[in-house]
Amino acid sequence: MEERHIQSAYDRDLEAVQAMIMKMGGLVEEQIINSAKALEIGDEDLAKKVRETDRLVDDLEERVNEEVARLIALRAPTAGDLRTVLTVLKISANLERCGDYAKNLAKRTSVLIHMSPIEGASKSIRRMAREVELMMKDALDSYITRDADLAEQVRQRDADVDQMYNALFREFLTFMLEDPRNITACMHLHFIAKNIERMGDHVTSIAEQVIYLVTGEFPDESRPKEDKTSYASEEGAI
Amino acid sequence: MTDATSPTPSASVPKKKGSLLVADERTKKRNTAEKRFQAYGIIAIGIGLLFLIVLLGSIIRNGIPAFTQAYITVPIELVEEKLDPNGNRDPADLRKVSTFGYAPLIQEGVLRAVQDAGIETELSSPGDMKALYSASAPAIVRSMVLDNPELIGTTIEVRLLGASRVDGYLKGRVTRESIARDKKIDAAHLDIVDQMVELGMAKRVFNWAFITGADASESRPEQAGIGVAMVGSFFMMLVVLALALPIGVAASIYLEEFAPQNWLTDLIEVNISNLAAVPSIVFGILGLAVFIQFAGLPQSAPLVGGLVLTLMTLPTVIISTRASLKAVPPSIREAALGVGASKMQTVFHHVLPLAAPGILTGTIIGLAQALGETAPLLLIGMVGFIATNYPDGIAAGFLSPNSAMPAQIYEWSKRADPAYYERAWGGIIVLLLFLMTMNIIAIILRRRFERRW
Amino acid sequence: MDDLRIIERTTGMNDIKVSARKVQVYYGDNHAIKDVDVDIEDKTVTAFIGPSGCGKSTFLRCINRMNDTIDVARIEGEITLDNENIYDPKVDPVQLRAKVGMVFQKPNPFPKSIYDNIAYGPRIHGLAANKAELDEIVERSLRRGAIWDEVKDRLHAPGTGLSGGQQQRLCIARAVATEPEVLLMDEPCSALDPIATAQVEELIDELRQNYSVVIVTHSMQQAARVSQKTAFFHLGNLVEYGETGQIFTNPSDPRTESYITGRIG
Repeated sequence: MEERHIQSAYDRDLEAVQAMIMKMGGLVEEQIINSAKALEIGDEDLAKKVRETDRLVDDLEERVNEEVARLIALRAPTAGDLRTVLTVLKISANLERCGDYAKNLAKRTSVLIHMSPIEGASKSIRRMAREVELMMKDALDSYITRDADLAEQVRQRDADVDQMYNALFREFLTFMLEDPRNITACMHLHFIAKNIERMGDHVTSIAEQVIYLVTGEFPDESRPKEDKTSYASEEGAI
Repeated sequence: MTDATSPTPSASVPKKKGSLLVADERTKKRNTAEKRFQAYGIIAIGIGLLFLIVLLGSIIRNGIPAFTQAYITVPIELVEEKLDPNGNRDPADLRKVSTFGYAPLIQEGVLRAVQDAGIETELSSPGDMKALYSASAPAIVRSMVLDNPELIGTTIEVRLLGASRVDGYLKGRVTRESIARDKKIDAAHLDIVDQMVELGMAKRVFNWAFITGADASESRPEQAGIGVAMVGSFFMMLVVLALALPIGVAASIYLEEFAPQNWLTDLIEVNISNLAAVPSIVFGILGLAVFIQFAGLPQSAPLVGGLVLTLMTLPTVIISTRASLKAVPPSIREAALGVGASKMQTVFHHVLPLAAPGILTGTIIGLAQALGETAPLLLIGMVGFIATNYPDGIAAGFLSPNSAMPAQIYEWSKRADPAYYERAWGGIIVLLLFLMTMNIIAIILRRRFERRW
Repeated sequence: MDDLRIIERTTGMNDIKVSARKVQVYYGDNHAIKDVDVDIEDKTVTAFIGPSGCGKSTFLRCINRMNDTIDVARIEGEITLDNENIYDPKVDPVQLRAKVGMVFQKPNPFPKSIYDNIAYGPRIHGLAANKAELDEIVERSLRRGAIWDEVKDRLHAPGTGLSGGQQQRLCIARAVATEPEVLLMDEPCSALDPIATAQVEELIDELRQNYSVVIVTHSMQQAARVSQKTAFFHLGNLVEYGETGQIFTNPSDPRTESYITGRIG
């Protein structure tokens, strides 16, 4: 990617769509941080801001789609350029989903504020969100620097997020068994945790796109999967 | 169901086309046809080459003798009483002695030389010696004396032009059998010549006079040269070049680049092509009617000849110029128009320089054609005129009567004396050398211009 | 957010340079161009695309009156350059062509030196008062033609000795030397290899800073790459004219769609 195209306009186009991705990434990171913070400190304004930011993210995604279509139509990219364009498209979709989850988090926050808090839950969720946000940051950095190793690390770190989610899942299960009045809040909190876990998966997907972009091949399925809640039963035997 | 058992090939298996290593029938046929055609071509070229060799061979064989000439060197006493009776060396008096006064001196001189050399012969009168040397001898000796009156009274060695029969005898054209009924020369003369050759008195030397000299009368072929006719041709070519090139090029540029495409230009085009095919004698008659009878220009003058040949050459020049203008790629014209050049700038800055080699070649070929043209000269009187002198000056070169090389050759070839026949061939060699030089110049010019591409 | 909008689609903001109204061209009895209305913007690359014989080149040649050199061609309607009708009887086509330069399909340098190729136009138009000024024009034009570095050491070598791509850039430099306002290019890359094509395309993109460039091309990809606006011609009609990205991603006329997707030729 160091060499320039003979047609400088082509470079400008490619840079432009990638710049949009970075802008989108920045917005989504901010959404994740802010939504988790809003949940912990019960800040309804912040939650509202998160929901509004999502509109910008959606707009950006639409723009990326448009520009990518244009770029494919006008420049007929090949090889590395083609991979760049394809990954831009997918990464933007991943980011948009992340943005949606953050928005959903913010919505649930607005509900949870008016309920009695579950002890320690929001702190754990914030830690988890923090972890996902860091992963996303690294994934986007690896994209910019075309660093497949960093991307691979990000991919591995998804296991930590899964484990955090497992722990939370069990915790919420316990709370609900203890006191049925906790069920509404716990259900909301569980969905939040699940959404953050899903964000982690999307970030992993971004990292995989980076690996594909750099190496031309998708990584094989050797990624550690720690989300074992699908097999959970009431007896807690996981 | 009987056919089910017969070994019919199944439709699904395509038939094998045969090996590539074995040529099939059609290929063989094609190859033989090709070989046959090549053979025809080689045969055609062979025939052409054969004709060329025969032609060149006969020209050279017949023409080369014209470039040598027999001379007889004898001492001649210039007797003072005969040449300068008053003894005062007054040029006016010397001029009064005509060639008739010199003739006896030469006859006696030759006779004495023959006798002194101890040549055995039954001929003993001075008059018999006339057959040995050219009738021009007295005139030559006279002019020597007039140039240098001091020679009178002395005996000088004079190289006399051999008579055409003697010349022919030395070249093998005249034999003892062929002179049996010849009144001009006897076997006895040939005996003398044989002995003179042995003694070194008669010799064949290179004949500069043929290349530089003028035509001579019918009875003195040994004296005739093509030099003056060459000058005539040269002046004609100057006229043709000065007229045909600018007129032809201007006409073609207009027709090719500027003229609108309509029935009038089509008509002109067709007629130019037709003109190129008009027999040259038609141009001759046109020249006679227009230039001589109507415009009153002098007869037999190279100017008129040049004008007629210009008319004849113009179509060639126009056609070749148009062809070379057409050959200039249109992209060059577009390029020039595209940067805002006007039509004329386009033509003169770009098209014409590129077409120049072609134009030059065409013009030189036209000139060469004109140089070899005889028929139109017949009608304007450039044939039959015996040019004995070089024109004195450039104006005279254009206006005074003259001949031209092909006309001179034609003239010689009609004369009775076989010595002239030989000179006609010699003239053809000179003409061919001229044409070759022109073609070489054309090639050199074209090469030089083409390098600019 | 608009700082991200780097991709060039800033059309519709420039002045109209060339404007055609109801242009008809006839070659003898053949009606080659039918009712073409188009507004070509300044400082924009406008591409004309369409199948062979659709009239795109013919229309291009109307803009600098190159069709005048063809006896049977007849043009009706109005084409204006800066609001002046170029088909007004008072207009001298030679003067017009100095303002509207042209680059042709085949690189056609004059068989002269590189220097003379460039200097020819300025010389005949009297743009340089002396040798120094002419040298300056030649250098500037060659720089604009993005070929200066390649030829500066051999300005007096023949222009025909350059490679195809260099020759074409030389021709563009030659067209630029007369300080035109509009540059017409008739399939300028069709005789060039892909790398030379890319170089010329890059040059065209740079020329956009100063000129209104109109390019005829039979390569749709080329039109897509270099132009901001595209006009699609079909059977002598201007079928669609619009922003290049829109034409190539979402054409409004079904014929345009068929053509750019390779369904009609």
